[in-house]
Amino acid sequence: MSQPLDFFIGIFEHFGDPKKRVFLGYILLSILIAFIWLLVARKMSLRAAIAKVFDKKIFFSRSSRGDYTIFFINRIFTLFISPLLLTQLVVATGLFHLLHRVDWPEFPAAASLPTLLIIMAFTVTIFVLDDLTKYIVHRWMHKWPLLWALHKTHHSATNLTPLTIYRTHPLEGIVFSLRSAFTQGVALSIFFYWFDDKVDLMTVLGVNVLVFTFNVAGSNLRHSHIGIRYWRWLEYVLISPAQHQLHHSVAVQHHDKNFGATLAVWDWLFGSLHHSVETEDLTLGLGQGEPDTDHSLYAMYLRPLLEIYLYLRRRARTAALKITTLFRPTPSVEWLLHPSGNTKTKDQDEKNASL
Amino acid sequence: MKKSINSFRAAGVLMACLSPLALASAAYSDTTYGPFPVTVKGYSGSKTNSVSYTGQIARHVLHDSLKKLASKGDGGANAANLQAEMMAYFGGSDNNKAIISPVDKGDFNIKQETLNEISKGKNLSGKSYKGVVNGWPGQMTGAEVLASMIEHAAATKGGFDPATGFNYPQLISKFAMGAVFYNQAVDNYLDEKLAADNKPNSKPYKDGAHYTGKEHVWDEAFGYWGAAAHSLNLSAKENYDVAKMKNLAAADANGDGMIDLKSEMTFAHAYYASSFDKGGKTNYMSTVTQAFIDGRQLISDANGENLTDAQRAQLMGYADVIGSNWEKVIAESVFKYAGSVYNDITKLGELLESNGDTAKAFSAYCKHWGELKGFSMALQAGKENLGETAVKLNRMIGFGPVLLNASQVTGMDSQGNFTKDEAMSWGDYQLHMLKIQKLMVDRFGVTAKSKDQTGNMAALADKLGSANSAEND
Repeated sequence: MSQPLDFFIGIFEHFGDPKKRVFLGYILLSILIAFIWLLVARKMSLRAAIAKVFDKKIFFSRSSRGDYTIFFINRIFTLFISPLLLTQLVVATGLFHLLHRVDWPEFPAAASLPTLLIIMAFTVTIFVLDDLTKYIVHRWMHKWPLLWALHKTHHSATNLTPLTIYRTHPLEGIVFSLRSAFTQGVALSIFFYWFDDKVDLMTVLGVNVLVFTFNVAGSNLRHSHIGIRYWRWLEYVLISPAQHQLHHSVAVQHHDKNFGATLAVWDWLFGSLHHSVETEDLTLGLGQGEPDTDHSLYAMYLRPLLEIYLYLRRRARTAALKITTLFRPTPSVEWLLHPSGNTKTKDQDEKNASL
Repeated sequence: MKKSINSFRAAGVLMACLSPLALASAAYSDTTYGPFPVTVKGYSGSKTNSVSYTGQIARHVLHDSLKKLASKGDGGANAANLQAEMMAYFGGSDNNKAIISPVDKGDFNIKQETLNEISKGKNLSGKSYKGVVNGWPGQMTGAEVLASMIEHAAATKGGFDPATGFNYPQLISKFAMGAVFYNQAVDNYLDEKLAADNKPNSKPYKDGAHYTGKEHVWDEAFGYWGAAAHSLNLSAKENYDVAKMKNLAAADANGDGMIDLKSEMTFAHAYYASSFDKGGKTNYMSTVTQAFIDGRQLISDANGENLTDAQRAQLMGYADVIGSNWEKVIAESVFKYAGSVYNDITKLGELLESNGDTAKAFSAYCKHWGELKGFSMALQAGKENLGETAVKLNRMIGFGPVLLNASQVTGMDSQGNFTKDEAMSWGDYQLHMLKIQKLMVDRFGVTAKSKDQTGNMAALADKLGSANSAEND
């Protein structure tokens, strides 16, 4: 196969890969779920529902066109950079070796546990651990100024489409990749240390069965204009599409809410849960005090770097100031009494001299 | 002038007529090791096939029989007699000896019952690795190590010494295969004996022989490899089953209902090659055997003349293919048994934790350790000094397995008794097994990777997929 063709397929391969959220099968199911929601819960006519789901104003907006552009550029970017990134296997092998350095206790009755139980335990653990670390890293993305500068690329979208997930700064992508490598590496090494070859993953179409379920259940609607809300009790457990759309809202009361990816329990536990609202009323994008974005490549790729530079320069200056203050000579009592510096007048000097 | 052109044409027609025959005979020797014609100049005897490696087959049989005897100890009472009997097989004697292994098994009838039916006066001791064996305590040569193992084995019950964890049938067998067969083939016959002035092709191997110097040198190396002459016609699984004496039809190439050990049996490293190849990832058996056949054809084609430099260079090329793949087969075995020992330690740990009976698991652990140790020592008996790889291998495996009382053999006293000291921790020892597997991959590029301890993790990591494409959730 020719290289350009490989490259072209490489760019679009996510649409045919069940491990990816934008797999066409998942997108079609999301559309189906959107229709059911609009027709049954919202009691819309079919015509109105079609107009709503395939809203031209959404899919051809400046924001969406920005998503498409960054999708292409990032795919090209990651085709080159992904081979350089730390993989979960490197982390897992390293930790696996490290675990042997200490004689850890054997897992009680590891040999007699049924293999199916171990496989189920691994499948659930990897899913829950993955979701937890996603929550933590996402929280950092919002709370730490350096990471927020990068994450703004994603939040500058003023409407959401399934491709908005790719509206991600490449440096942020590297952070996400490290998170994934670390999480999977930990789970793999510990499970293999305890259970050897019995460890496996329960899959459907080669995908973790729980990830598959999440995607089949309309994960693409998180980034969409279809504000599906769950029952109030369920929104404590699972993040509804409307809850995630609220996360993108500019309203101050919605800031730093609903960081969760699949499970809402982390938000609930750590006090960042917000139940869904009618999303029709929400304005999406960056909040007040953030520079207006024009969805340009400059805004999405370079401005975050500039902001990081400015932030670091500001911090460096503050630090320098603190250090110089630290090394300034200890002030005398007189200086403290007369901070202007003129502790003696010329007249006084002359008077002293004449005495 | 015209006449000469006509005669040239006539020769061409004759060649064309004969070529199907030539092709047929080439096809025959393409897939079997022999028969090859007698090419010695001036040979006047009646032999028509110059292939001969019965001495090597006799040594395979001595080895198999010795391994069998190594487990015959009754705990001390028969030690002296058993040692003498084992030494007779190891050191050889002119008295004819019974073949103890391989012997008839079900419908798998072995043609020969005594060694002299194969070859007379052969031994293993005279052909053992001449250097100092660093992987075993006592600073001994290959022959001395094997003699010492034989002495110890004779005093055990069933060949196993629980005090040291040594399983002698495994240690003796796996080391002897390297110290004799592998060493003789790659460090002698396929090395210095391929030199132009050593055993030249223009002379008989010895006075009156019906094979040339180079023909016989090559045959002897092939004999040590241990493949049946017709092994290229069999699948890896069939070759494996021949060694296990489970497939008479595959083994009985001439269809006489009996297995002629001289040409129809799979022995030693050829058996291990087929065991890895049947996994489908490697083809050591056919690669090595084909190189042997191609090399033999080249020598035969020289028709009793000395090999030209170009021919000798090509022959050395075949020898390199044989040597490197043979080495890989042994490295694959080290890899496999390091994985087995790793698993055994996990099992032992679970049993200790649950206060279970460890006797059976400990015995399995020591058996696998013996195989690991034997193969690792064999690996070091090749043509080249493995240097750092050998040092690492010997240190990581140690002189003995880590025992349940946290001790380990660390040396040998002047009386030839093993000394023990505090062992490394189980965790460290398991880690060593992982590192040995990695060493075999890095240094020898093993690919069959039986009992791979991190391969499953790699496969599962692959299944999980990676998040390296810059996506928000």
